[in-house]
Order: sequence, then structure tokens, then C-alpha cells
Amino acid sequence: MSAKIRWSGAVLGFLGLALVLLLHWQVFFWVPTERTMGVVQRIFYIHVPAAWVAFLAFGIVALCSAMYLWLKDERLDMAAVSAAEGGMLFTTIVILTGPLWARVAWGTWWTWEPRLTLTLLLWFIYLGYFLVRASTENPQRGRRFAAVVGIVGVLNIPLIHLSVQFFRSLHPGPVVLKPEGPSLPGDMLTTLFTGLGAFTLFFLSFFLFRYGLERMRQASLHREMAGGGDPQLQGVSS
Amino acid sequence: MGYLRQVGAVVWKDLVVELRTRERVAAMGGFTVLVGVLFNYAIDPTVVEPQAIASGLIWMTIVFGGMLGLGRTFHLEEEEGAFQGVLLSPIPRDALYLGKVLANFFLLTVVTLMVFGVFALFFGLRFGEHPGALAGVILLGIVGFVAIGTLFSAISVRTSMGETLLPILMFPLLIPVVIFGVTATSSLMAGLPVSEVDGNLRMLGAFAVVSLAAGAGLFRYVVED
Amino acid sequence: MTVFGPNGAGKTTLLNVLSGGLKPSEGEVFLRGTPLRSGDPEWHRRVGVLSHQSFLYGHLTLEENLRFYGQLFELPDLSRRVPERLEQVGLLRRSKSRARTLSRGMRQRLALARTLLHDPELVLLDEPYTGLDAHAAAVLREVLASLKDGRRTVILVTHNISQGLELADRVAIQARGRFIFLGDRWEVDADTFEQFYRAKVEEVG
Repeated sequence: MSAKIRWSGAVLGFLGLALVLLLHWQVFFWVPTERTMGVVQRIFYIHVPAAWVAFLAFGIVALCSAMYLWLKDERLDMAAVSAAEGGMLFTTIVILTGPLWARVAWGTWWTWEPRLTLTLLLWFIYLGYFLVRASTENPQRGRRFAAVVGIVGVLNIPLIHLSVQFFRSLHPGPVVLKPEGPSLPGDMLTTLFTGLGAFTLFFLSFFLFRYGLERMRQASLHREMAGGGDPQLQGVSS
Repeated sequence: MGYLRQVGAVVWKDLVVELRTRERVAAMGGFTVLVGVLFNYAIDPTVVEPQAIASGLIWMTIVFGGMLGLGRTFHLEEEEGAFQGVLLSPIPRDALYLGKVLANFFLLTVVTLMVFGVFALFFGLRFGEHPGALAGVILLGIVGFVAIGTLFSAISVRTSMGETLLPILMFPLLIPVVIFGVTATSSLMAGLPVSEVDGNLRMLGAFAVVSLAAGAGLFRYVVED
Repeated sequence: MTVFGPNGAGKTTLLNVLSGGLKPSEGEVFLRGTPLRSGDPEWHRRVGVLSHQSFLYGHLTLEENLRFYGQLFELPDLSRRVPERLEQVGLLRRSKSRARTLSRGMRQRLALARTLLHDPELVLLDEPYTGLDAHAAAVLREVLASLKDGRRTVILVTHNISQGLELADRVAIQARGRFIFLGDRWEVDADTFEQFYRAKVEEVG
């Protein structure tokens, strides 16, 4: 793995870790308890930053995918899959923490809260991305197909978002997920930002390491093929 | 005009082949009728009035039945490698895509008529004051459905999972069609005026446009190596 | 030109690259000075490919198959062209039958008609004699001979030495992705070619 990648990955990782520790302290000891929901509301500081990263990651996936199809540089696909893995991880965190919160706070495991639903659907779009990558004979094709899935996904997400919100407006249910944003008091806002920062850094670190790993993998695969193999195979820019 | 002629050639060819094999229509038609029968037993009319949930049932039947047919879009092309032959011709890839979409659209329209027929027959439904608008809603929804379905069908037929991958890829993306389509359909069937479903129609239209544009642009990356 | 070579030599890959279906990892392809730009539909207009698979739709009639391809290639005057081509391969009588009712030999003949429908400058033939009966092979030979009109390049890939040498002006032997021999037909002795071919291939290993 190139030294630059390893180094920046490590730095970001440490920073992320530091922020996570800070976050822990803030969440468990510092930030005041929310009035209506009680202690369980603290999941919010994990849940929301994870959702932010999940969607950020997908944006990266889609961007890299589009550029990959256009420029045909394999590194862009490596970036896309690295972002996708991180993204899926954080999406999973969101849809695990959501029901946990809902169950303790309101007694039901699932509410069709629009943002949570959107994140669930995002999870399935990620799933499709990986399934398509994995189930082609020719890995090059798999990468192109995955890129297409990523792009179609990102184009649809706004529409899906609008539709689940619309649905919710027709069928209102328990009010879930207190609004974040400027209406939050100072301490909570700070904690939230710590969470956002921590998770984003963590994700970036993960992304870099994964990307570096993927490049190593591809490089060794090419050395293997070039060594004893078929001169007809397409070369890959490195 | 050559472009349209090429699109037309693809549409015509697909429809003629479908007419002669009746492969997809038969499967989708049979499915439709069976679903109608199953729903009859699955729903207790003393508890739920079919008219109230008809819109949802109709849409789900169209989606599932349609998925069956869409999965086979590229099936007959594989037999003698005909698709390769088509790719070796100068037809622009987006023209090929649009031709396939149009053919699928006709196919799905036929299936939708069957669905409505079956449901009207089995459940004695009323369809509201504006059959034209109702048809418009359904057709618009189908456009988006078919646009994405054709693109993803081209992908899934080239994977080891084959047609089973298609629903997994499509379901998240179909949520807008289902939500806006069902809402608009039930509003219209309940007799509400067309102005009520304005927003829904717009959303369905947006979905259709985005899907077609994406499909036309991305199709070449799926079929060419 | 006929290209001979053992399995895995890359003959099909060569044809794929020439037909514009596969992008070369290095180098370029030129036809009469015009380079092949990937994804360029104009290239497809100038190339005709006859492959193992016939590229035909079984449920369409012979006529319909050719009309379809004719429309894809935006060819004018199809009502004249299609029967002409069918006549050329001896299938005019069966123009209204469904393609799936044809025997292997007839299918190949129809595929040949499809290949030549748009009058391509470059004709690529991948093992065209495979599975053909004597009559079909004769028709094929006749049509191929008629292609030697100086306006086109025909590249034939085959295992069969005698059929491959029959009409060739140039001969190539491909192994492991490279041409290990390339020369004019008169440089090569038909009787000893088989030994020559084997020797060359063994050399490369």
C-alpha cells in the first residue's frame, strides 16, 4: 500500500478514534438528558451521524461510478467499492439503532418514519450493488454493472425520499426522531457535531485503507496474470 | 428519421416474436388471473371492503406480474446469439434501449388490462368518474417501471443469479411508483376529481423521465464490453 | 486472408477486435486508412460478421429476419435487396418459413445472407464451414468466391486446411495471440502445408 495512503488513513483513523472517545464521554457523561424521551434519546448521537455518513458514502459511490464509466480508470471503481463498503456498514448501524431506539422509546420496533425507511431502502440499494458485482463471471462487467446500479440509485433517492415523506403525510404515525438542527440546544448540538466529525473521519480512514487494499489486490492480480498468462487480456491502468 | 425507424424495427420485432411465442403474455396473464383468485380467498370481505384496498392490490399485481415478463426481455435474444448480431449493427444503443422499453410498455399495458378485467370481474369494482385520468396514472407509472426494468433486466440476465436478481434490484426504486401510483389510483377510484391527483401525476412523470434518461444513457455500458 | 491456428490461439478474439466488439488493449485497427473508433456505428456499417451463432430469430421468417437487420442498418430498397440475397444463398423459395425450421446448413446460409446484406467492405468469417453438409458448403464456397471482387477484405478463420487454402490470397498462422506466420498464398505449398503448420505451432509450444 502506498505510504501516502497508509499514513493518511492512519492519521484520519486516529483522529476519528480520538473523536469517538470524546463522543463517548459527551454522550454518556456530559450532554444533558432530553426531556421527553429520557436516556434512550442518546442513541440519536450515534444514529444520526451514521445516517449522514451512509448517504455521504453513497454520494461518493455514485460520483466515482459515473466517472468510472466515463473515464474507465479502474481506480475510480476501487474508490467506489471502498466507499460502498463503508457506506453499507454505517447504513447497517442506522437501521439497527433506529428500531432499538423506537422499541425503547415507543414500544414498537419499526415505524415507517420517512428517513428511516429511506435508509432501509438505501441498504437494499447497496445490497444490489454488491450482488451485481459478485455475481458476474467477468469481474470487469460486474464493476460496470455495479456502477450503473449506483448511478440509477442516486438518481432515484430524491424521488424515493419525496415519496416516503408524502406517504407519511397521508398516514401520520408516532412522532419519531426529534428534529435535529438549529433548534437543538448548544450542548446537544455540540455532541451531534462531535458524532458527525467522528464518524466521517472514521469512514474516511476506512475508505482510504480499503482503497489501498484494493489497489494492492489488483496489482498482485495483474502481476500474477502478466507472469504466466494470456497476452490478450486487457491491461489496466495503475 | 432513421433513428425512429431503427427503434421501430426493434419494437416490431419484439412484438412479432411475442405474438408468435406468446411466452411472456401467457405467463403474465396466467399469473394475473391466479392472483385474482388468491386474493379472493386471502381477503375476508366482511372485514375489508375490496374497493377500499383495490388500488394497492391492482398495483402489486401489475408489479409482480410485470416483473415476470420484464425478466425475460432479453431471453429470446440469447438463443442464436441474436443480440450480438444486433450489437454489431449501427443501431445506437439508446435506440435499442428505447425500442425494448416501448415493446415492454405495450406488453405491460396488455397485462394491466387483464389485471383490471380480472379485478373488475372478481370484485365488482367501481373505477370512479375519470377513467381517462385513471388510465393516465397507470400508464405513466408503467413507463417508469418499464424504463428501469428494461435496464436492470439487461444487467440481471448477464449475472449468474439471472432473473432472480431483478426484483432485488428494482424494489427499492419502485417505491415512488407504488406510493404515488396507488395514492392517485385510489383517489380517482373513490371518485375524487383529477385536480386532487395533480401532484402525484407530476411525481410519476418525473420518475418516468429520470428513469428513461438514465436508462438511455447507461444502457450502452451494460451491453457493451 | 485465411487465418489458421489451434484452439486458444486467439482467432476469435482477433475477429472480435476487428468487428469492433472488443477493445484492443494496445494498438489500432485501420480499414482503408480509416481508424476504428470504439463504439462508432459507422464501423459496423462497413463490417459483416459470420459467427458460430447465426444471430437469427427463430420465430421470424427468413424474410423478416433479413428485413429486421436491413432496417437496423438503415438500408434502402429492402424489398429488392432481401430477395436478392436470399436468391444468392439459394433460400428464396423458403423465404416465408420460420427460421427455426431450417437445418444447420440452411441457417448458416441465411446467416451468410445477413452478413452480406449491407454489402460490407470487411467480411469476417469465424469457422463458417463447421457443421455444414456438402451442399451448404458448396453454396458457401461459391458466395465466398464471388466476394473476391477486389472491393473487399475477407478474413476467414478456420481449422480446416483444405477449405481454408482454397480461396485464400494470403495465409496467416496464429498461435498464443500472435501471428507466427504471415505470407501470400503462393509462398505456401498446399500439400505440405499441414506439416508446415504443425511444425510452426510446435515451435511456439
